[in-house]
Formats: sequence, C-alpha cells, structure tokens
Amino acid sequence: MNENPSQQRIPVPLALRVSGASFAYAQTPALTGIDFDLHAGEAVALIGPNGSGKSTLLKGILGLIQRTEGTVEVLGQATAPAGTVGYVPQTDELDPEFPVSLEQVVMMGRYRELGWLRLPGKKDRRAVAEALETVGLGHRAKTRFGELSGGQQQRGLLARAVAAGPRLLLLDEPFNGLDQSNREALVGTVERLKADGVAVLVSTHDLELARAVCERVLLLNGNQVAFGPRESVLTLENVQRTFHEVGVEMDQHTLVIPGHEGH
Amino acid sequence: MADLFGPLVTAFSLPFMARALVVLLALSLVAGIVGVLVNLRSLEFISDGLTHSVFPGIAIGFVWGGREGLFVGAMIAAVLAAIVLTVITRRAVSGDAAIAIVFTAMFSIGILVVSRQTNYAGQLEQLLFGRLLTVTAAEVTQTLVICAIALLLVGLTLKQQVFRAFDRTALAAAGYRPLLLDLVLNVAIALVVVAASSAVGNLLVLAVLIVPGAVARLITVRLWLLFPLAACFAALCAWVGLAVGFEASVSAGIDLPSGATVVLVLVAGYLLVLLGRLVFDRMRRPALSAPEPEPATA
Repeated sequence: MNENPSQQRIPVPLALRVSGASFAYAQTPALTGIDFDLHAGEAVALIGPNGSGKSTLLKGILGLIQRTEGTVEVLGQATAPAGTVGYVPQTDELDPEFPVSLEQVVMMGRYRELGWLRLPGKKDRRAVAEALETVGLGHRAKTRFGELSGGQQQRGLLARAVAAGPRLLLLDEPFNGLDQSNREALVGTVERLKADGVAVLVSTHDLELARAVCERVLLLNGNQVAFGPRESVLTLENVQRTFHEVGVEMDQHTLVIPGHEGH
Repeated sequence: MADLFGPLVTAFSLPFMARALVVLLALSLVAGIVGVLVNLRSLEFISDGLTHSVFPGIAIGFVWGGREGLFVGAMIAAVLAAIVLTVITRRAVSGDAAIAIVFTAMFSIGILVVSRQTNYAGQLEQLLFGRLLTVTAAEVTQTLVICAIALLLVGLTLKQQVFRAFDRTALAAAGYRPLLLDLVLNVAIALVVVAASSAVGNLLVLAVLIVPGAVARLITVRLWLLFPLAACFAALCAWVGLAVGFEASVSAGIDLPSGATVVLVLVAGYLLVLLGRLVFDRMRRPALSAPEPEPATA
C-alpha cells in the first residue's frame, strides 16, 4: 500500500497510544500503569504469564472492559473509527458445532462495512477470497469452521479480521497449540500485514515468535514491567520479574520456566 | 390417492379452516426463522420464560378488552418482559434462577387476573390451549401484523444476529452493541409468543418456537439453508396438523383440540427427522473411517 516512495519520508503515523491506563472488571482492578505506543507497520509483543492481563489489555483497548484511568487513542482518536481495529480472539471460546463455513466466518468481517441492510456483493466476496489467500486457506473456504484444525481456525479468524481492512490488529495468543506449518503461515501473514502498514499487537508467551515478528516488547504482570525494543527489554532480569520465577533460564531462542511448557 | 390427499385441500374451503391455516402459515414463517436463532443461541429456557411472562399481559388484555383487547395487553407485556429479560440475563449472577423466579411469578399473576372473571375455567382454557378454529377475521389481521413486525426485527438484523450467536466478543470488538441485538431478538421472540398464543395457546407456543429450528439443525449444517428449512417444516406440519384434526372430527367424530394436534404433528415430524438423521449417520460412518482425503494443514 506504500507504493509511493515519497510517503516513506513522512514520519510513521501512530496507530495506538495507551497512556497511564488502568483496566478493571466490575470495579476489581485487573491491570494498572499501562504506557506504550505502536506505529503503523510495527508489531509489539505482549508477554506475561497466564492471568497477567494480556487478554484484559486487548479487550481494554477495544473498549470491552472498563478503563478506570488514563487514555487510549486509536489512530489519534479517543474512540476508534469504525472498522479500523481488527481483533482475533482465542478459538476455544467458539462452538465447534456451529453450522457455519470458513468463508461465512470470514464474511462476518465485512458486516460492519455492509451495514444492516445490504447483502454481501462482489466486492465483499473478493475481499473474503483475498483474506483467505493471505492466510493460506483459500482451498478450505467451503469447509465447516468446526471441522478445521485449531491452527486453521486461528488463521480463519485472522482472515476475518483482515477482510475488514483494519489499520490496527489485536491478536490474542494466536500461536497457542499451533504446529510448525501453521506457525509459519501465521508469521508470514503478520509480516505481510506489517508491510501493508498494519500495526499489530500480539499477546504470546512464545519468545521465539516474539523475536520473529515483533520490533518491540511489552512485559506484563498485572502491571507494566517493561516496554521497549525487544533486545533491550528481553533481559533475564526483566523476564524473571515478569514471571516471578528465579528459576527462569533464557538463551538466544527459548525461555525455560519451571512448571511451564518450554518453547 | 385422491381420498388420502383430498382432506389436505378440501378442508380449507371452509372459512374458519382457511383462517386457521393463514394464521398458522404466518406463524410458521416467523417462528421458523426466529426459532433457528433461538437454537443457535441456546435460548430455549429464556423463550420458555417469555411464554410465561407474556401470559399476564394476555390475561389483563382479555379481562379489560375482551378478545379484541387481548393483543394490545399481550404486546405491552411482551415488550416489557423482553426488556426485563435482556437486562436480567446481562446483570444477574445466576441468570437461570432469576428468570425462573420472575416468570413463574408473572404467570401466577396472569392466572389470578383471569380467576376474577366469571367464566374462569373456560377462558383460562382458551388462553392456555388456544382456539385456533374460532379465530376471527380481525384476529387474523392482528396476527399477521404482529408476525410482520417480528419478521422485520429479525430480518433486518439477521446477519448480525448470526455473528452474535457465533462470536459475541468479536461482534462487540467490531463496534456492535450485543445488548441491542439481544433486545431486538428477545422482543421478536416475545412477539412470536403473543401471535402464537391465541392460536395454539400459551402452553404450546414453545413447541412452535423450538421444534422447527431443531429440525433444521438435524437436516443441514449449511447456515442460510436453516432458515427456509425451519419455516417450511413448520408450515408443512401446520397444514397436516389442521387437516388431521379436521378429518378426525368429520370422519371419526373425534374432536381433537387443533392447537395440540398441530404441536403433536410437529413433534412427530421432529422424531421422524431425528430417526432419519441417525440412520443416515450410521450408513455414512463406515465411509468416514476411510483415510482422510487431505492432510490437516496447507
């Protein structure tokens, strides 16, 4: 999308800025002191143990969870312009028996633009086909969603978000339980979206994948432990503070936490 | 052959049978479509709650306005109940208990109201079990209007309702308000309950709302086929049920309550389709144990 070379000199616009934000479930504080930003074409990894508030932060940015302090600005605006934020939830909350094909799930990404009355047209079907090609699932379009493997379902939900043409994409643990080929497909898709100027915020506990696609890292454990370029943030000390485990070991590619499954 | 299928057509040349058929066909269309959403959202229990909570509205409308006033009271009660229900299921910690308490209370209020009437037993029976064959032309019009409103509510939001049923979080993330969609659907369900109450009776409404959707789910996994299938199944059962009741009365002298007959035909149809599904699955299973046609990943 950035074909015009003169555009390269313009400073990269801010897709997301979260300043001094806290989030709460029914008045119970869930996450405090969040301060970070995200530029177009950049990816930030959210890393923290289970229950550290990764999903809470994503839902807070979407406005699905109450913000008790601070501000969240999407594309410079307090309320995200319609259709600009894509969200890819975890698939395990979905009913595998639901009678819907992959293609129909991806079409849901077009509903916002279609509005209440219009039925999907040629343009929407093309957007769906392109989104399915982007995630490498064009050949599975007619398959019932629940019959797809976990990794394919995850990629299908990513395609749904992509079909809406978002400027900011929030991914909740997209790499959970994926086999190697699904991981590679997902990493490839995220790289392509970044090249198109989409900003990506991805929660994961997989340091290898954070290194593969993310420029900056946000460490989270009920509050913000650290934020910055991945090499300066992903230090042994920071990771130990995040996971509250002195037994954490790290090397160039992996994080080993006693009691957790290592990657 | 002519003898077997003749009653399916000739019975409806009588005006009261034709009116009953028109009411049931309109109901089938709406209840079929709304019923698929009830099934996809697993709202069976909430629908049951709504049938009970609309009852006092029907009763009060009946006491104040007679048979003509019934719909007005019922409409008001239905919309109120739908709003209360939408709020309860969102706020309450234990939704099911709250629904059960509120709506059994509402039902009791309805019975108390009717019990103040002189011809208590007869009128209560009409409200609970319907009086399909004595529906007046004016009531046909009212039923059609109520059905049209419910159809409009669901038709205009159908895409989003399906999205909401599949993935509530993503729907909210896309900027929709799930609460608003829930309210629209609950009002539509309540309107179906009102429209169906005078025909098949308050106690049997649930079958009209739930059986067609369940049947469609047994027949297909193709999303947009579910809606016409449910509507057509309901319409077919309504037609057969009415004809069976008429035939039993004319040929055998057995006076079958028409609402209950239609519901039993619906349930018989469900069992038939269920049986067919089980047989179909059993026949297909050996074929499925063959090697997977394609690897799981691309």
